[in-house]
Order: sequence, then structure tokens, then C-alpha cells
Amino acid sequence: MDVSEQDRAPVRRPISITSIVDCVGSLATGTLHENLYLLDSNRAGGSTGQGTPALRTRVSRGDRLLWTVITLECEAFAAIEDIRIDTGVCRPERHTYPDSDVAYWTATVARDDIGLVPYEITFRIGPGEASMTTPVPPALIGGTSPD
Amino acid sequence: MSQQLAIIVMIDTENALEAGTLRGNTYLVDNMRRLGSRGECSGDLVSAVVGGHWSNGGQAQEQILNWLVGSLGSVPLTLPRNYHSHRVHRHDSRSLQSLGRLADAGGANAEDGDPLTEVRRIHREFGARIGTARGRHRHAHCDRLMDLTGRIVPEESSRRGDPVHSHPAPVLVDLCGEAVEKKVIHPAQYGSPDQDTDGWYWSAAVDTSRPGTYSYTMVVELQQLVRGPAGRTWRPRRMSHKARLNVTSTPMRNGFTGAGIGYLPVPSP
Amino acid sequence: MQQTRVNVVAVVDVIAALSDGTLEGGNMCLTDDSRYGSTGRGTTDLCTACLPGQLLTWTVLPVDVQTPVEIRSIRFLGHDGAALPEPPGEVPGEGEELGLAVWSGVVPASLAGRPPLLYRLELQMYEGVNSVLSVQSPAVRCAAGVR
Repeated sequence: MDVSEQDRAPVRRPISITSIVDCVGSLATGTLHENLYLLDSNRAGGSTGQGTPALRTRVSRGDRLLWTVITLECEAFAAIEDIRIDTGVCRPERHTYPDSDVAYWTATVARDDIGLVPYEITFRIGPGEASMTTPVPPALIGGTSPD
Repeated sequence: MSQQLAIIVMIDTENALEAGTLRGNTYLVDNMRRLGSRGECSGDLVSAVVGGHWSNGGQAQEQILNWLVGSLGSVPLTLPRNYHSHRVHRHDSRSLQSLGRLADAGGANAEDGDPLTEVRRIHREFGARIGTARGRHRHAHCDRLMDLTGRIVPEESSRRGDPVHSHPAPVLVDLCGEAVEKKVIHPAQYGSPDQDTDGWYWSAAVDTSRPGTYSYTMVVELQQLVRGPAGRTWRPRRMSHKARLNVTSTPMRNGFTGAGIGYLPVPSP
Repeated sequence: MQQTRVNVVAVVDVIAALSDGTLEGGNMCLTDDSRYGSTGRGTTDLCTACLPGQLLTWTVLPVDVQTPVEIRSIRFLGHDGAALPEPPGEVPGEGEELGLAVWSGVVPASLAGRPPLLYRLELQMYEGVNSVLSVQSPAVRCAAGVR
């Protein structure tokens, strides 16, 4: 892309995918079932399943994705340990916000014709070693997906 | 029950500003699902407030509600509220250091090339200044844009159309509506030394003597970036959203006897 | 003047307790306001000193006010060290029902002068497989009453 094209092309907002984790609920029951809510910032662009663990995020090639976590109990701790998705679609990487120890994961969508791509997020919850994975897979949808 | 109710209000700030409404752009979650809250993580949450009363009708427990507002189009709640201003200060500090190095080198630093180029680079990366609609900074940290990864947005990219930025966190400015008018809840802002809430949070005690479902309204102030003749400014926009409380009250009972007070159930000697 | 009521308070770090799977290790501390020489204050080995006829009341508080914890049962241990059978007031419920129980009882005269009586304090935090935790180390010691 030459400089003038770069100047004209509007910069797209990254799509934020936020996980809300109920730490007490998940530690007490041993599962994220009914203790995890997913939201993204692209409802207007076609994402569905907002507020459920089965979020379907609508994406296009070049979209930057940003995963963050907040806890229902404001003083509790939860963080993303891993995100497993087809690496041909995107490769999530962990970064830290500068001047903080809060992490976020980010990836850029590589293709348009991805259809429906399910993925898994594993969270570390609480002060101990508790590790739990999304009870049902959220997904990215793009291109000519029937969804 | 000593647990306080927490209600998280997640706002899709970008879409709310674009659509001009919180409807469809607000998701509410509370920590009372197991006690009967309905509509978790939707725009229509009915929070279960479970009260207890003594045999003479007096309220036995104090139910407390706490609200926390988050934004999908901003850096997460886990970062302290002063993160944005902290990042601006760090950024400015580095810019000053660069200027200092330039001055020390006396313009003869081959690495940086032409000193004027270096000055221009520092000026560009300083970040575009943002003012408020009233011409003075309501929130000092909002005078520069920060992106969603905590970096200060340089001046150059801000000329290419609306720059991608982390929206200033929406602020709950009032709680009103039926539940407040009927004095079922008594909301107020409380001071907190907690950095995460920027010093203030909304809390309300509940009168559980009148069971029923009551609605309440949250008034939220968002900040929209607008372009005017004097450059970019933050324009505050207030929007409101309704949610509900389902208040119940059940008689208290003694844990040992199931009724009134008795002797402790100790083994015979 | 004689103290007519003695209050026993359990302060619990709910998330740490759920994470560790135990109330020990500093996750719960017990204390009371008895003026008659209780021992073990601040630990799970609290021995509450009381007199016959006093009203003994147990309450539980979470360190993080947004986390749930209720007393599920208090059962005194018999001579064989086993907990006595379920008293009539104990309702094997969860959540709402537990929050409505007041754990108060009068110290019977038959306890006077006996060695410290251990009891099992059982707490419920949220619901699910990991939600019930207990200790069997606290005790009540009743001195002979003043006529």
C-alpha cells in the first residue's frame, strides 16, 4: 500500500472481545458453565450471541482482535492462559499493557473466507492453580458463512 | 446474608455514541443469579434482592447494591482509572527527555540526522491535543488520545479521519426512577480510595419491606470525540437505561431449632 | 456486670478458601467478644469461654463483601468425636434459605464445668461440588456459673 492509499484508508477499530468471569461461581462449581459471559464490540457489524459463552464474532480480513477479561467480583483475579484457534485464521499472542501487569491477547484475521471458526479460551481463575476452559466454543464468523 | 450485590454495566461505547442510545448497547451482569436474577448479560436484567424480616416485621438484613460501569470500546476495568493520565505523563516525560538529548547534542548528533526532523518527530508523537466543549479540561487525562493497547496516538494519524482510540470510561452520574421515587432504594455516591473506581462509586441500600418488582434508571455520561473549528474536542453525552429489581422478603428462623431461640444442641454428659 | 451475650464471628476469604479447597491456612479466622478468657482468637482453634444461660451467636462475614458465605450447619461433636445428628432447625438448603438462619442458642447449665466441647462449623460458599467447607477445631468451654 503506498503512502497516499494509507492516508485515505480509514483505520478500522480493533474488535474487542471481553470475557466476564464469575470467579466464585466457577471455583465453587468447578466449571465455567453459567459462570462466563462473552461480549464483543461488533454487534453492529453482525456479531451474534452477545452475553453468552457461544459468542459469534463477525470479522473480515485485516481485522485486529483484542481479548480481555474482567471478573464479576471486582477484587478477584482471572486471566487468559491460552487461546486455541486455527492458526491459518489468526495467531493470538499475549501482550501486557505498558506500565502495568494486566495482559491482553491480540491477533489479526488473515483471511476473509473463513466460514465459522470455533476456538477455545483457557482461563486461570483465582489465586491458585485453577484453570478452566470455555464450556462451549465461541467462534469467529466471516466471509460467506451461513451464520 | 452479608453478601453485597454487584451489578456490572458493560456499555458498547462506540455503538452507543453512533446510535445515540444505550438500548441494544448495554449489557448488565450481577452476582445474584443463583438467588433468582434473570436476564444476565442482557440489557434487561432483573436483579434478585433477597431480604429477611423478623417476626415483628422489622427488616433483619441490610441489602446493598453496588454499580460498576465498564466499556467495550475502552481499555479494561482491570487497569486503574488513572491509567490514561499516567500513560500521558510517561509519554510527555519521554518527549521531554528526547528534547533534552537534542539540546545536549547541540544539533550535531549524526544518528538523529537533521535536528529539525527530530523536533518534528517529537512534536508529532506528542499526540493531538483534545479540548472539552467548554474549552477547559474536565478530565485532565483526556487531553490526549490513547489507543486500545495503551499507546498515545501520535498527531499524524489523527489527521487521517477519526483516530482509533480507547473511549474515556463512561461515568454513572445518577440513579433515579421508580425504585428511587418509591424509596425502595436509597442510592448515593461513596468515596473510595480504590484506584479502580477513580475515587467514587454508586451504592444503594434497599428497603426490603415492600416486596415487588421495581424499575430504576441509570444515567450515564459518555464522551464523544467531535471535530470543530478549533480542533477536536470531547463532547459529553448523557444517555439513560432502565433495569429492574425483584425484591423479596422471607421470615428469619433460628438455625438450631428452625423456629425461635432454644438451648444449644449439646451432647449429654 | 455479667455479659449476657457472646458473639462468635468467622471472617472468611471466600475466593482463597474455594481456590485452596480449605478454610485452614489463614482463609478463615474465628474470634469472639467473650470476657471470660477465650483462647485461640484469630485462628480456627478458637475456644470460646462462656457461662450457663448466655446467648451464644455465630455470624460469618466475607472479607470481600461481594462474595457469598453462609453457615450451613453447626454441630457439636459427641464423646466419640463424631458430629451429633442433624438438629430440627437445620435445613439442607442453599443460598436463600441459609441466609435466613440465625445461629443463636442458649448455653445450657449441663455444659458447666465440662471440658471444652468441639463443634463442626460448616460453611457454604455459592453452590456446587466445591462449595461446602468445614472445620472441626473450634470449641466452647463453659465455666461453672455464678448463682
